[in-house]
Amino acid sequence: MSNRHFVKGGFLTFLLLSASGLVAQEGGRIHGNFSTDAQYYNVDSAIGAVVPAQRLAANAWANLIYTNGPFEAGGRFESYTPPLAGYPAGTPYSGSGIGYRYAKYRQDDLEVTVGNFFEQFGQGMIFRSYEERYLGVDNAMDGIRLKYMPVRGLHLKGFIGQQRLSFANQAVKGPGIVRGIDAEVSLRELLDTNWTSANNLIIGGGFVSKYQEDRDPSLVLPQNVAAWALRANFTTPRWNVYAEYARKVNDPNSRNGFIYKEGQGLLVNATYSVRGFGLSMGAHSFDNMLFQSDRAAPTPFDLNINFLPPLAKQHTYNLPATLYPYATQPNGEVSAQGELFYKWKKGTKLGGKYGTKVAVNYSVAHALDTTRLGAVDDTTSRLGYRTAFLSPGHRRYFQDLNVEVRKRVSSTWEFALTYLNVWYDIDIIQGKPGEAPVHADILILEGLHNFTERNSVRFEVQHLSTREDHGNWATALAEFTFSPHWFVAAMDQFNYVGSEKLEAKGYEALHYPVGSVGYIRGGNRFQVNYGRQRAGIFCVGGVCRQVPAANGLTLSITSTF
Amino acid sequence: MALAGCDIVSDPVQPSGNTVGPVEGIPRRVLLEDLTGHRCNNCPRAARVADGLATQYGDQLVIVGVHMVNGFAAPQNPIGDGIFDTDFRTPAGSAYEAAFQIEGLPMGMFNRFPFNGARAITDGAWPSAMAAAAGQEADLDIRFTSFTFNAANSSVSGEIEVTIAKPMEGTHDLVIYLTEDHVIDWQVDAQAPSPNVPDYEHRHVLRAVLNGTWGESVFEGSASAGDRFTRSFSYTLPTNVLESANCALVAYVAHRDSYEVKQVTERKFQP
Repeated sequence: MSNRHFVKGGFLTFLLLSASGLVAQEGGRIHGNFSTDAQYYNVDSAIGAVVPAQRLAANAWANLIYTNGPFEAGGRFESYTPPLAGYPAGTPYSGSGIGYRYAKYRQDDLEVTVGNFFEQFGQGMIFRSYEERYLGVDNAMDGIRLKYMPVRGLHLKGFIGQQRLSFANQAVKGPGIVRGIDAEVSLRELLDTNWTSANNLIIGGGFVSKYQEDRDPSLVLPQNVAAWALRANFTTPRWNVYAEYARKVNDPNSRNGFIYKEGQGLLVNATYSVRGFGLSMGAHSFDNMLFQSDRAAPTPFDLNINFLPPLAKQHTYNLPATLYPYATQPNGEVSAQGELFYKWKKGTKLGGKYGTKVAVNYSVAHALDTTRLGAVDDTTSRLGYRTAFLSPGHRRYFQDLNVEVRKRVSSTWEFALTYLNVWYDIDIIQGKPGEAPVHADILILEGLHNFTERNSVRFEVQHLSTREDHGNWATALAEFTFSPHWFVAAMDQFNYVGSEKLEAKGYEALHYPVGSVGYIRGGNRFQVNYGRQRAGIFCVGGVCRQVPAANGLTLSITSTF
Repeated sequence: MALAGCDIVSDPVQPSGNTVGPVEGIPRRVLLEDLTGHRCNNCPRAARVADGLATQYGDQLVIVGVHMVNGFAAPQNPIGDGIFDTDFRTPAGSAYEAAFQIEGLPMGMFNRFPFNGARAITDGAWPSAMAAAAGQEADLDIRFTSFTFNAANSSVSGEIEVTIAKPMEGTHDLVIYLTEDHVIDWQVDAQAPSPNVPDYEHRHVLRAVLNGTWGESVFEGSASAGDRFTRSFSYTLPTNVLESANCALVAYVAHRDSYEVKQVTERKFQP
């Protein structure tokens, strides 16, 4: 493997030596944190549990950051010996070493970063470099970044570098080079007027280009692929309206079938809120907008240059969050979402003594309405398909109507009742061709009771009914908190199927019990879990990874200093 | 910068396709291990890419389909209904899955040598990886000096000769695969009109490894140009072989530490 794919180990040594020199000269500040997740795996054939040969797996991270006035340097040690089953989302990690290191300083209006950095233009439609640790997504840049503010209210950014692909005793970089520039004007910062003291208009635009060598013997692949975007964000005390439009030139890649069609995307969000009332509406359309710095990246999680946010509620309750969460389809979807929040005040008929909150949310995502281009000639067929922008097709990917009512009924009891009606195209979203779409009804009751000021219990009872996929589920959870140090929780997820048709296909009723104990003191937190973990989907921000079934003991520790 | 960072391609097809020029010395053939599973919906797409490369590169490319990853390759319940019941997995394939950390499919390894930073790569990169791997001069050659198949007792035996062409360092192993072509069985194919295809043609299926998962040592330390090593084999076909006439032996020599395949050759039972 070529050395150019690896972070140079000596760089961090240089940074730390520089830092120690500065400590000696002026005194600075070092802070950091540590976290680990270790799991011991048991054999459990009933659920098809994954058991690594090592039986014990551990992920660990430690950040060390030194700051001294305008100078900052830092690094992250990572260890995957081996990684937890199903981790990370994309290309595998292995071994221990330095995965992230940087130095930056600010001189007047210029900020210079060398080494690794995270960055985002607008909402990320053409560029977002970020880390979502528990998902195992990290596309950190390695290169240089400049930020400059020539006048107050005008922000300029520019960068060039390569993205992190994976980890093998050190960060492994992808083959492409990514470079970009961005400019943003904020009227509130630029102008000192009565209007801008309450309102603001931010206008921005960015340009990103990737380079990857073309070695394909049969196709002429564009080595430089560019994307640009324009955005505007208008805010008043009650309104927040955001719109961004992006366009990408021909970007044949393995996930769009090596077609040469241009990509484009539009997203619009508007929210209106006053005390006790909130309304938000959003819509977006993405057409051929997957943008990776390797046109044949090993997985959809690797080397993403941009980020396309989902337009669906990110549920936190166990069953809707892990069984049928929606993930954006970057190569083609038209989606819309609306949410209404209202609070009946205390003392009203529906508000009662403590007030009542209700939230109604609806989201829907459809395929694009496309017409495949026939094989008139190679050039035409290589354009893939034709579509009218913002034009939804007949195929519905996802729909979620959910209502939540939350009410405090006494000084010590609070309840929340949630109903969800979900339509889920499991064929497309989870890549299970031929599987029937899942239509599920989910009902959840959550209760919170404070025994004393320090001690409380929270419980959830959830039920999901469907005749598709794995059938019906019931979940019960109880979580006791003894502030400020201890918590104890127990949960059972029961897949009782409830359909003769599914049972005939081999699905059996299964319990997935798990117990947890946690202890928090100062900057340290310890948690131990023991039980079954069912196979499912774990999502953050609409990016989802498969989690395999497992049975065992998990220890999690986090610490900051 | 906008102009510099943007290539607009109006004619995507290379004018003359690929041609590999003559190689001085012994041409180094390429082993493509097509990592696949019968319930992997995109794996047939990858197999079609492999077929296209086989047409383009002829005998410079040797393909083996290695079924792995339980979620894609395990038989599907209920067992006995005849649907996705066949277990194409092998102990060797499972060992390679663990050693090379394969979790998603389809993937392919070209001579087990990294391309763009990864040893296992998706089918979108296969044409480029093949173009990079093809046309090289080999450090050694492999040939079957004798080959006998006894249909009466389903046994195969013979001798393989490894000839060193250039000085080599490190321990190298000879591995002999048994493959079976044209196996008709179930496969999920995302590009088929009905994704569950009952009569899919599985190509170059790895059935067994004749001499252990990681093979047997050919030489250790170093070898000089002109050195010759011979290894004999005798093997009874396993019961999962359906049609011996569709079988082949694939022999390759790999570096023990880096796993890199230095040379490969294929001997079909019925040439």
